Amino acid sequence: MENDMATEVVMPALGLTVEKGTIVKWLKREGDPVERGESLCEIEADKATTEIESPATGVLAKILVAEGIQVPLFTVLAIITAAGEQLPEAYARAGEPPPADAPGQAAVAKAAPPPAEPVLPLSAGRARVVPAARRRAAELGIDLSRIQGTGPDGVIGRNDVEAFLKRETQSPPRASTLARRLAEEKALPLEGIAGSGVRGRIMQADVESALEKRDAPALGKVIPMTRMRQAISRRLSQSVVTAPHVYFFTDVHLDPLLEFRNTVLSGFEAATGLRPSINDFLIQAAALALADMPLLNAYVQGEEIVIPSEIHIGLAVALPEGLVVPAIPNADQAGLAEITRQRIDLVARAKSGRLALAELERGTFTISSLAQFDITHFTAILNPPQSGILSVSKTRESLYLADDGAVKARQVSTFGLSVDHRIIDGAVAAGFLQNLKRKLEIPAFTFLRV
Amino acid sequence: MGDGMHDLAVIGGGPGGYVAAIRAAQHGLNVLLVERDRLGGTCLNRGCIPTKSFIHDTKLYNAVKRSGVLRGAAGVSLDAARMLERKNQLVNNLVRGLEAILQSHRIEVVKGQARLEAPGRMSVAGLDGARVDYRTRHVVLATGSRPQVPPFAEPDGLRVQTTDEALNTEEIPRRVAIIGGGVIGMEMAGIFLNLGASVCVLELLSDILVTEDHEIRRAVAVKLRQRGVEIRCGVKVQALSFQGEGVGLTCADAEGRVFHLQTDRVLLATGRRPVMDGIEPARTGLQTDGPYIRVNSRMETSLPGVFAIGDLVGGMMLAHKASAEAEAAVAGLLGRKKDFRPERVPRCIWSVFEIGAVGLTEAQARAGGRRIKVGRFSFANSGAAGAMGAGEGFAKVIGDADTGEVLGVHILGEHATELIGEAAALMTLESTVEDLAEAIKPHPTLGETLMEAAMDWSGGAIHGLRRTA
Repeated sequence: MENDMATEVVMPALGLTVEKGTIVKWLKREGDPVERGESLCEIEADKATTEIESPATGVLAKILVAEGIQVPLFTVLAIITAAGEQLPEAYARAGEPPPADAPGQAAVAKAAPPPAEPVLPLSAGRARVVPAARRRAAELGIDLSRIQGTGPDGVIGRNDVEAFLKRETQSPPRASTLARRLAEEKALPLEGIAGSGVRGRIMQADVESALEKRDAPALGKVIPMTRMRQAISRRLSQSVVTAPHVYFFTDVHLDPLLEFRNTVLSGFEAATGLRPSINDFLIQAAALALADMPLLNAYVQGEEIVIPSEIHIGLAVALPEGLVVPAIPNADQAGLAEITRQRIDLVARAKSGRLALAELERGTFTISSLAQFDITHFTAILNPPQSGILSVSKTRESLYLADDGAVKARQVSTFGLSVDHRIIDGAVAAGFLQNLKRKLEIPAFTFLRV
Repeated sequence: MGDGMHDLAVIGGGPGGYVAAIRAAQHGLNVLLVERDRLGGTCLNRGCIPTKSFIHDTKLYNAVKRSGVLRGAAGVSLDAARMLERKNQLVNNLVRGLEAILQSHRIEVVKGQARLEAPGRMSVAGLDGARVDYRTRHVVLATGSRPQVPPFAEPDGLRVQTTDEALNTEEIPRRVAIIGGGVIGMEMAGIFLNLGASVCVLELLSDILVTEDHEIRRAVAVKLRQRGVEIRCGVKVQALSFQGEGVGLTCADAEGRVFHLQTDRVLLATGRRPVMDGIEPARTGLQTDGPYIRVNSRMETSLPGVFAIGDLVGGMMLAHKASAEAEAAVAGLLGRKKDFRPERVPRCIWSVFEIGAVGLTEAQARAGGRRIKVGRFSFANSGAAGAMGAGEGFAKVIGDADTGEVLGVHILGEHATELIGEAAALMTLESTVEDLAEAIKPHPTLGETLMEAAMDWSGGAIHGLRRTA
């Protein structure tokens, strides 16, 4: 390997549900000097866009993946060399298109002919093929450069060779382009799907109903996890294993807040055109409580407690495929109108799958609400690396003994707080929850922006 | 009592009914078709075909008059009587041809007014007044529609007309006011313009052709105005009065201000309403959806064994939509379930431009919440369009940015109505915009414009200036 002479820029892990990324735009050209940390290109994955930063200072010597091309994570995208250094031979050859016949070229009508299949620059070399795979490929006379590795860092395994052989030798079932794309996206093999189109052609609706059947829970059935479910599963296990959770509960008396909202609602709506929900008040109150007690906004990094300077409140949004947590930025600074606007926008885009990666990853604290269910209280698992998550249950009528000795009813919700006990002690967590409770029970003072 | 039991009785012999009858007969069914007027329905007798005949002749006339290369073209004139005669001959030929086709399939054609008695039972009052009962396993209702006459108007057939009369009139008016800026109004405006009439269009809604893409609407409105048409939107016509040789219109604009117009002829193009003669929902128990018969995606009504298709069930009132519904209905009664997909019905308009569209408008696609991309190509960049002196127009492709699914295609310009068929075929095949860009097109043809629009969508048209980001 010649990696000591040059630095590879790879498609990074783009969040937990993502397997592939697309180069949207190169921000630097070949030959441009680059600084470590400088943005090299824009990438898109799972409908979110982000930028890749240069891992080294030097010269962008070679771009290996053209704009518009989708490649698996950890594919080498470009090579950075030290100023004046020659581009190593292996990379110099790698950008040339392989003798590929894959579709997708029409989508990339660009000046330079881009590779029709994602290129793993060193796949034909020595480093990235498992010996068994190399033997099998030699046996079958398959050119390794045509095979896309699926192992870590794109290593070609024997299974990749077998899968390639299968693809090459089997005539695939006849399916419409849309049906084929949908099946690929959902990792559903077309074999065995009955086609309703002309002469048994598999149409989109056939794939959709096959997916429905595959994914519907039923007794005595094994269902493969979707990518999103795998990510949720990994993430929650990691959270439970690494962060010792401890839970606190308190009853929040909500009549004052409900009344406060009713009082201001018509005027607020006339002024802003927005109707803040109880949740919007809650988001702001939580953000203000975090500003009072910044440790709840912190996370553990190695041996350090990192307290970010900004407070971004994540909202757990349940989708049919699983949970996403887009975050409202700077919720302690934003006014209620801004919070309401952002919340409406984020939830709508979460439902239509149009959230940016940054919006999903920036949260510093999370609120999870099951208020619309008949659930009196629940505990939530921390959204790593965050150290606090608030669980909000339904608002219910509760009897209490009033100061005058009479038994009266009031609106109450039980709030739960889960914290990372490594850095947050019980007293701190309790203090935070009491702070929040006070803010909600005396809304006029909390939401009075002085 | 008619002889024996029929497998299928079709009420109405238009492009819905006769397609159902022929298709069913091809599958060996014993079919009865009842028509009280002429076979071919509105399309053949009072709609698509007559207007296309007029459009051809008046367009030719207009093209000759405007030609810069023909000598003596300025003195050319159009013989409206011959134009009408040609149309009548064409229609007669087609009707006779249709009769022969139906006969060849041994379809029993009965002339008269049908009456649906109950599922499986129907009677027909013949032209002689005698009523005959029929028993049938299935019924397809395809009674069609007739022009909707607004409450303020009483058409006299001469100065105040619906399309029924307008397509049988030799006399060319000097001035015509068209009430309704929908598809029918726009087609008739094109014909009258080519005949040299001065045209005014009055539309109740805020724009003409409201069902079409905003770029189509804008291009048509601009062209109409260029050719001297007065378009007034947001206008409610309140009253018509016969004044001397002409007609006076009392109208109110969007702000309620009343104004008056004088014209020689008024054409009512205010939509069409379904014909319920013989199938009255109140009597038969057919469920309705507004003014239309309610059906599911397989064209089944609320009565067992009774299907309804075409203008009768609403949606786009187009001959080919009725025919496609007929196919779905017949497949259904043969036990082969086939859903009718309204989003794949192409829409064609022949006005000052030809317009072909299928699927969603850009606004509808955006409202759907998907990530979309739009590709465009101008006829001005097409050699083929330029050669035929038709550089005005564009093709526009709307596709799902993630899957490449073709969501909508809109073409405006020469032969747009022919070109749109390709887009409809691609959508039926569930092809993607990239497929459309990849298919090789012969040069020089107008079909290249659609390919280039798809290329624009996919990254770059060849015969277009580089897009700057």
